[in-house]
Amino acid sequence: MNRFLRLPPQILRLVLLALGIVGSYAVARHFLTPPSFGEYGFYRGAALGEVAARPAVLAGREACAECHADQVTQVAAFSHKGLSCEGCHGAGQVHADNPDVAMEKLHYSHCVRCHEANPARPKWHKQVVAKDHYPGDKCTECHVPHAPSEVP
Amino acid sequence: MKRPVTRRKLLGGVAAALAGAILAPAARAAKAAVRKVFVSSDAPKGYRPEDHQWAMAIDAGRCIGCGLCVEACKKENSVPEGPYFRTWIERYVITRPQPGSGESRGPAHVDSPNGGMRGFPEPPVPKEEIQHAFFVPKLCNLCRHSPCVQVCPVGATFDAPDGAVLIDPKYCIGCGFCIQACPYGCRFMSPVTHTAEKCTLCYHRITRGLRPACVEVCPTEARVFGDLKHAGPSDPIRQFYERNKVQTLKPHLGTEPRVFYAGIDKEVR
Repeated sequence: MNRFLRLPPQILRLVLLALGIVGSYAVARHFLTPPSFGEYGFYRGAALGEVAARPAVLAGREACAECHADQVTQVAAFSHKGLSCEGCHGAGQVHADNPDVAMEKLHYSHCVRCHEANPARPKWHKQVVAKDHYPGDKCTECHVPHAPSEVP
Repeated sequence: MKRPVTRRKLLGGVAAALAGAILAPAARAAKAAVRKVFVSSDAPKGYRPEDHQWAMAIDAGRCIGCGLCVEACKKENSVPEGPYFRTWIERYVITRPQPGSGESRGPAHVDSPNGGMRGFPEPPVPKEEIQHAFFVPKLCNLCRHSPCVQVCPVGATFDAPDGAVLIDPKYCIGCGFCIQACPYGCRFMSPVTHTAEKCTLCYHRITRGLRPACVEVCPTEARVFGDLKHAGPSDPIRQFYERNKVQTLKPHLGTEPRVFYAGIDKEVR
């Protein structure tokens, strides 16, 4: 018999209990901690990939240019050159994946959304009070949205 | 000295062996279940977060308040209908001071009807009383010392190595501490998932080489986005830093936001 086992029995029981608690914590931690936890920090490293796994809804103008190069080139030559296709035409990933699915139909509200006069808009931005500017609701009767400085 | 095998010893040994035989597969099954829930494989291949440092910058002087960014964000990220926004636009209307009052400016009126998603109506004050007015797009400020990350009790929100502050929806317990901690009001409790939600910088887009949805649709380049580890001198984000005097929101809180603003006034917080 070594000296350890000659500890008073009540102390020995306490030591064994403590060892049991620490041991079961270590076992539970081993089995319940997700695999990638702590890969980059105090969080699940795999969460990055999961957040990134969503499908995109907006295709991006590069995807539009694959088929509609003419329109993209035309827009790039005029003051609407900074505009994204999908800003006016709506989200296009579904249409890019399957061209049979039609894009959103455009109407008057797309123009006034940016060009209706508002005192908070910067002064360099072209604005009109739409109802004084033209009583109708078809801006395209006069303006070409892809080439806004041309009035036919 | 050889001890005889007593009945007590034998029974004890059998019970231990049985317990082991039952518990070992159970533990293996538990580990497999945890692995299945928490490891996904449909993330973009070949993306290494250490190789990037994403940055967003806002030139408020270029914002026309059209709300396309807010709408695109809602669509792109399936943000719930109603007053839930990952990005939104605020309108600041600074009024003229009362004549003879000795003030430099009158009261400021700040509004954001429906997050600015459908544009802005006429300002709440008559045109003659407006000293100046402007729009400010808001989003997660991507703090270097994020209060939201510090308060999360379970490690569900974190500062990724590429500069995005993200939420792990599988780990979030929906306690809402982070929503109270964010000094910029950029988080909300999703009524659909009952977990906290916020701007992810469109993490699913930027990891595939696309721009965030709000940057993609912004017609005036008021929102600038780039990768500071790969931005050349002509990159929009570098141009933004070179051309503008910038500031962050609530710098006194020491959160060190990585979203820089140009062209905002003292009322913006």
